[in-house]
Amino acid sequence: MPDVVANGVRLHVQRLASPGLREDAPVVVFLHGLVMDNLSSFYYTLANPVAAAGADVVLYDLRGHGLSDRPRTGYAVSDSVADLTALLDELDLTDRPLHLVGNSYGGTVSLAFATANPERVASLVLIEAHFAIEGWGEQMAGTLTEIAFGLKDGDARKWRDQHGRKLGRMAANANDLINNTTMVDDLLAVKPLPADGVAAITCPVRAVYGELSDVLHHAEALRALLPDFTLTIQPNTSHSVLMEATPQLRAMITGWLT
Amino acid sequence: MTTGQLATTGPVQDEPVLATVSRLVTEIIGEEYVLALDITLDTSFNADLEVESIEFVALAAKLREHYGERVDFVAFLAGKEVHEIIALHVGDLVTYIEQSLRDA
Repeated sequence: MPDVVANGVRLHVQRLASPGLREDAPVVVFLHGLVMDNLSSFYYTLANPVAAAGADVVLYDLRGHGLSDRPRTGYAVSDSVADLTALLDELDLTDRPLHLVGNSYGGTVSLAFATANPERVASLVLIEAHFAIEGWGEQMAGTLTEIAFGLKDGDARKWRDQHGRKLGRMAANANDLINNTTMVDDLLAVKPLPADGVAAITCPVRAVYGELSDVLHHAEALRALLPDFTLTIQPNTSHSVLMEATPQLRAMITGWLT
Repeated sequence: MTTGQLATTGPVQDEPVLATVSRLVTEIIGEEYVLALDITLDTSFNADLEVESIEFVALAAKLREHYGERVDFVAFLAGKEVHEIIALHVGDLVTYIEQSLRDA
């Protein structure tokens, strides 16, 4: 079960549910962030509590991340949406209303999926979501290139020697993803989501941003477009609000989704 | 199938919980890292085994596959804060599994 081939890529998938899951339980799909992230950030924080509250939970590692395959190409937002669409097909989750929970880039993918399929989405929970507006791809690519500079092959080995197996592997994986795939080029080529498409997302959208986040401006851009938008700005937290305010997010999200 | 075969479901089912956890950890992180260590109840997943978070997820999935619905890992993890999950020792997991199997 943990591996599902979707859109030609083997994806590591985890399904979580409490014993006695109801047939009409809401389906909640979690989408993590880019490069130094994988499904475990949601697994350790929100996914198990949401499953314990009665939801049918799906977590997966985006292509190139975690325990999923890392093909050399296919890192545009549209590829991520195609992967998600194919995964839902494979899991036979095409008829039930979907709740998407996205962190950072996962929020970008959630918004893009909802723009393409507004009728399939029951709600969106966006945590520190990047919103693909004009210039976003260049900004993301720039950030990744900075990370990549510190992760050249030699440095990754040094990391492993100095910090042990775990950090060494994380560095090596990130290095391979940034330097040996088309991710940076794909992000540079990303087109902004059409404003009228975003405005056509009529389901409830709940957003959480850290008060000190460097992407807080995305919240205002979303507020201007989305008809049913609720924003929480979490005090004294940064872009890592998922890790910095986990108990608050757990209470908020289990309340919203179940 | 005789009654005797029903009662004994094979060596893997009869394995002590610690042995099952150790075997599955080894499958996930590789023998070369585990061989140098004797996995005991006091072994820390993070500090001693250097299990990556994504590997811990895979371990929980293998344990769920092994024990089925008798052990509710969702409930176990839903009740823990992130720092508590990171600080887990092999013994914490073994104790919970043994308790669940007794209650099942």
